Amino acid sequence: MFKVRDLPLNPLEVVRLIEDNMKRYGFPFPIPADAIYSWAKPLGLPARGSPMLYTGALYQLMPYIASIIDSLAKIEGSSVSVMALRVSRFLPGFLTGLVVKPRGEFQVYSESILRSIVKLLKTSGVNVAYPYEGDLYSGVLLYDLGLDELFREQALKVYKALKERGATTVITVDPHTTHILRSIYPRYIDGFDLEVKSYLEVLAESGFKPGYSIPRDVVIHDPCLYARFENIVDQPRNLLASIGVKYLEPRRTRRMTYCCGGPIEGLAPKMAKAIASSRLKELVEKSKSIVTLCPICYSNLKAVAGDDIEIIDIALLLSGEKS
Amino acid sequence: MTLKLDSLRALDEIYKALDDNILQAALSRASYNNQVKVTEILASRPEISSLAIEVREIKRRSIMKLEELIDRAISSLKAAKANPYYASSVEDARSIIGRIVGSNKLVILSKSMAAAELDLRSYLESQGNEVWETDLGEFLIQLEGVKPMHTIAPAVHMTREKALILLKGKLKIDVKEDTIESIANTAREFLRSKIIRADIGITGANALAADTGAIVTVENESNIRLVSSIPPVTIAIVPIDKIVPTLLDAVKVAIIQAAYAGLYPPTYINIVTGPSSTADIEQTRVYGAQGPKELHVILLDNGRLNAKSNPLLGEQLYCIRCGRCSFECPVWVHTANYWGGPVYGGPMGIIWTAITIDPIEAGKLAYLCLQCGRCDESCPVGIRLSYILRYLKTIAISGSMSKL
Repeated sequence: MFKVRDLPLNPLEVVRLIEDNMKRYGFPFPIPADAIYSWAKPLGLPARGSPMLYTGALYQLMPYIASIIDSLAKIEGSSVSVMALRVSRFLPGFLTGLVVKPRGEFQVYSESILRSIVKLLKTSGVNVAYPYEGDLYSGVLLYDLGLDELFREQALKVYKALKERGATTVITVDPHTTHILRSIYPRYIDGFDLEVKSYLEVLAESGFKPGYSIPRDVVIHDPCLYARFENIVDQPRNLLASIGVKYLEPRRTRRMTYCCGGPIEGLAPKMAKAIASSRLKELVEKSKSIVTLCPICYSNLKAVAGDDIEIIDIALLLSGEKS
Repeated sequence: MTLKLDSLRALDEIYKALDDNILQAALSRASYNNQVKVTEILASRPEISSLAIEVREIKRRSIMKLEELIDRAISSLKAAKANPYYASSVEDARSIIGRIVGSNKLVILSKSMAAAELDLRSYLESQGNEVWETDLGEFLIQLEGVKPMHTIAPAVHMTREKALILLKGKLKIDVKEDTIESIANTAREFLRSKIIRADIGITGANALAADTGAIVTVENESNIRLVSSIPPVTIAIVPIDKIVPTLLDAVKVAIIQAAYAGLYPPTYINIVTGPSSTADIEQTRVYGAQGPKELHVILLDNGRLNAKSNPLLGEQLYCIRCGRCSFECPVWVHTANYWGGPVYGGPMGIIWTAITIDPIEAGKLAYLCLQCGRCDESCPVGIRLSYILRYLKTIAISGSMSKL
């Protein structure tokens, strides 16, 4: 048997798959509807009001995406599919209608992050409403993949859902959703008038003083969208400093931070892994404890990190749940 | 012989490149070194960043009135006794150059991406000419028979071992020692023998001044100087986006290009305004002194005026080809110009491929873009590369140039 080298996926086929899922499930990947908001049920947050916490489902989707990427990476590298991919370049049909199982431990992790964010906001005197079934997917991937019409439709749905529930200020939890709502939605929605803030900005403005100290060293990995597109660079640093965390800067940092590879994990898993490995190497030069501010960064760096490397979402660090 | 892009084949090449450990190491080192150099230049010389902002404005205004500048450049070139030509397409440019060169000539080229756009070397060879690249990197590329792997560092993937094999294998030249210096010496001696006898010299341009017809080039190797001054007939291929209003503007563009490429101060900036001449006898000017007697200038459109009418693609025309976006791009660092068309690669190169070859196929390659924005942040003239790349995706998925 000769070894068959990895073959790239046809990007347009992956995009069509996501388009199809979006139309069928309202999400880019098949996911049970209550998986988006079940984390919030025990918290008893009001379903109407402002500020409204809007997750855009990214943290909740990541455990599902991680499973799908595993399957895609297998196809990319498998000799069985080589002929199929080479001849017709289509994605095997079993992927399209696939009911995906989330990675269990990842799902627990994502949900604990979201609960920590609510807790952090509450500690800072910010009581949020939460839209539950109105916590729709933001459409960020549709925009990134150039599916403009579908994106516009989704953006309008999200906008309507938030407005109907009385939101005037929306608090977001990840860089992709923050960027898409704050900087892209206004270009697609006439009269867009929601104020959009990342919870990190809200915490920083509220004078976050938790009254506990977690003295430890970490290296900070800025997400591209916060650092370069939304000017959220100093806030996370100040928040970390306020609980006594000493953050170290990697070689490429702040506005010139380096991508984790995540945005192309579904289109070119092998390339995404290569980029994640480069970045991980650079981060580990400073510390084996890495703070991430984005679920995609978390997932991608985690995928290439050994067991001796700790990757922590900033919300868990700030809330004292991981110390 | 038209250059084409097959995006799926390119993706195959990219995946092969990911498994090429020597290439991966070379790219990682090159991009690291370039990032460090540019950072140092910008940190130690604040005037460069201010000049970049000025150049951004010069380019923006130049593209806005491009048609007018083309007309002015043509008049100025005529006044300077150069012969200007407007080439709308690759075919136009090839046939103009083909007529000037003819056949059975010895032709030398300085590294020019515009010449690569025309696949000029193969074209002139097919017309029965002997053609040599004189830039060391491009010369090695010629011997290897591949495309340039970076806009200013075409042989960025090259190792000394590979260069030795190419010189020995393709030219049957013995290289005395296996040092980089010895390789450079060997190439110089070989190329000198060609340069001194060349009939035609062909260069590109960093900028062309509309007010004077002055062509500005920037370099370190001094090969552009030789190519543009030793042969009796020289040709400059100038993509129309390189036209700026004045000679001063043109020099500013060259300085910024060099600085953001990590080469500052540049060893040479050349200004060529018309063919060489002398008026030493009776104050009567005759053309053809020590330099060329004839200078032909090809103004190359090849999709550029068309791109200008599109608000996003038009922004790419500000590009000064420093290639910094590639060195800063997390994807390019693993692919070199395999991520690109037959000529240009990397963030700016995908967009140039869309403009000069095929927006739909280029759009499919744009799907590897992370939208991370390091290119936007790095570009000295402020091109929103990641936005344009996303726009190319909308073209690829919809199969047409959609409305903006």
